[in-house]
Amino acid sequence: MEPDLIQNSQPPAMSNGDGYGANVIRLRMTDQIKELQTVLRDKSTCRGDFIFFADRLIRLVVEEGLNELPYQKHVITTPTGCSYDGLRYIRGNCGVSIMRSGEAMEQGLRDCCRSIRIGKILIQSDEETHEAKVFYAKFPPDVHTRKVLLMYPIMSTGNTVIKAVEVLKQHGVVEENIIVLNLFCTPIAVRLVVKAYPSLKILTSEIHNLAPVHFGQKYFGTD
Amino acid sequence: MLNPPSSAMALSGGKRRARTTSSSGTAAEGPVVRYGSRTIYTAGRPPWYDSHGQLKEPFVIGLSGGSASGKTTVARRIIEALDVQWVSLLSLDSFYKVLSPEQHKAASNNEYNFDHPDAFDFDLVAETLQRLKEGKNVEVPIYNFSTHSREKLKKTIYGANVVIFEGILAFCNTEAREAMDMKVFVDTDSDIRLARRLRRDISDRGRDIDGVIKQYEKFVKPAYDHYIEPTMTFADIIVPRGGENNIGVNLIVNLVHQQLKKRGFKLRSKLKQAAHIGQPMPNTLHVLEPTQQIKGLHTFIRNRETNRDEFIFYSNRLMRLLIEFALSLMPHKSVSVNTPQGFCYEGKRLDTTRLCGVSILRAGECLEPALSEVCKHIRLGKILIQTNLDTGEPELHYLRLPKDIKENHIMLMDATVATGAAAMMAIRVLLDHDVPEENILLVSLLMAESGVHSVAYAFPKVRLVTTAVDPDVNDQFHILPGIGNFGNRYFGTESKHSYNPQSA
Repeated sequence: MEPDLIQNSQPPAMSNGDGYGANVIRLRMTDQIKELQTVLRDKSTCRGDFIFFADRLIRLVVEEGLNELPYQKHVITTPTGCSYDGLRYIRGNCGVSIMRSGEAMEQGLRDCCRSIRIGKILIQSDEETHEAKVFYAKFPPDVHTRKVLLMYPIMSTGNTVIKAVEVLKQHGVVEENIIVLNLFCTPIAVRLVVKAYPSLKILTSEIHNLAPVHFGQKYFGTD
Repeated sequence: MLNPPSSAMALSGGKRRARTTSSSGTAAEGPVVRYGSRTIYTAGRPPWYDSHGQLKEPFVIGLSGGSASGKTTVARRIIEALDVQWVSLLSLDSFYKVLSPEQHKAASNNEYNFDHPDAFDFDLVAETLQRLKEGKNVEVPIYNFSTHSREKLKKTIYGANVVIFEGILAFCNTEAREAMDMKVFVDTDSDIRLARRLRRDISDRGRDIDGVIKQYEKFVKPAYDHYIEPTMTFADIIVPRGGENNIGVNLIVNLVHQQLKKRGFKLRSKLKQAAHIGQPMPNTLHVLEPTQQIKGLHTFIRNRETNRDEFIFYSNRLMRLLIEFALSLMPHKSVSVNTPQGFCYEGKRLDTTRLCGVSILRAGECLEPALSEVCKHIRLGKILIQTNLDTGEPELHYLRLPKDIKENHIMLMDATVATGAAAMMAIRVLLDHDVPEENILLVSLLMAESGVHSVAYAFPKVRLVTTAVDPDVNDQFHILPGIGNFGNRYFGTESKHSYNPQSA
């Protein structure tokens, strides 16, 4: 048998991101997740493959992220007449994507939650000051009552996400209610975001010194 | 020529036709073969292995006798009287050697000896019989008597409950003889055989009398005296007068019935009874971690009130996670790639060209889209296994597998594994196609404990991948608490009286 990673010991699917605090969680590393990351990192990957593998990784991050949303006990009856102690998801969530690359993650969220509300924020760095500046923001009107899945695939400096959370907080969203869904981030970015917002949750697939910053260009084909 | 010394069986009955190719076969082509007014070999192959997944050896009958002695008739009578499913008929004619151009020329002048042991490829005969005995599928050559070569296409024959191997020199080779459980020699008087041969060749095949007699004197008779008649000493039973000998045929049939009875059993009921209670789960079992999401998805698909739209949506989500999980168990190789950022990244790649999916119809097909979504261009095989309502046993009805499947890692997919009977039959089929046991991953949304134990006990190297394991199986072989009949709920074919009132 191959030396496989999972066996029966069943370690948790997500592990704390090694010294970044309890609110930073990483997808459990398996060969297949490593493969997805390898293809996305590879310079020679064609755009079709890039999108295909990015969508797979996004889907896995989204499915994991949904675990952070609230639920309640729910007992149901199966077709064989037995009762089953299950769980029911609680409504009152929404997604917010940070334009442009965050939009790549919207479909992954839609594939799991068909009618979820999705807000958008456009943040760009100011040409003179190089500071992150908000150009556009549109959220569901009751966003302050909701849990927010904030989608942004690449965190290199962390500035964009810090700015986006600031905007959400201005709209009344509580810091604990925000979960950042991310594919790749750098240790610097994680530390910076955690320092700025200690109650925020960050879910990522990899923390690595160099982030694949070409993600948005390659995904949307604007190299 | 051509007058092959013994002629293959035309099960369709009626007149013997002049024939250009050899015709071994699993009784005949289609799944259902009617012979006269009765069905010899019905659709659906019952299990050919026991409740531990081990092979039941097929009963091999060797049938020899001189040319035109009535071997074919005896074989037909045996098959007819046996009345068992899955009889494979193998003819020695299929194993003629390919002729060189000179030999081919000699053959067209009636100068080539087709009745000599050297004319046959006995190595291949022995190998083929051995594989059939192991329950494996074999590729039997189709011999073309006009070109004296093998056709490109081969005939696939599966191991069966009974294998009949017939031919003039069937007992000539020691290895082939050792593979036979019973050896029958059809001893017909040489005058009668010559008379039959003359009639067959002259009136049925339009050949001239001088040629036929020349061939008989030069090859057929000496071959019988030198090679065929001496092998009579190996026979367990000698049947005088061939096919008309009812007592002889009945004796053979009774003996075979006794042997088959000894090897028979009930599979599924036995599987359910298997005492695995309290045993720890096998370490080949891999269960997706039960996060809240997984539990929530299960709640939707297990609920009998869930309508079909939601049932399909949530089961598809669960399947995607299951397939991604199963992929993580596949062998990956380490690679390093160059990144646009200018550094080298140490990663992993999966070789998807050596991966293929096989679904157990019908419910297993539901998992195909999930697999195709994550593995582009993946090849998919299908196996149809259905439960015989009379016996409660699984039966194999249909099989299409990708070529060179033995080189592959297989994701064998079924929606649920209850007793494990269908999964075991499917695994057995893959093993018969030379897929190594450790290359098989049985992937299922839901498994019952007893099924997990049965499959793991029978096939300790097959890995089982699922999203949950339930404790029980009821008398209808449904998992408890379970999800009901997955296929019916997914495809919307449940009856109105079923538990699901909303999915009309």
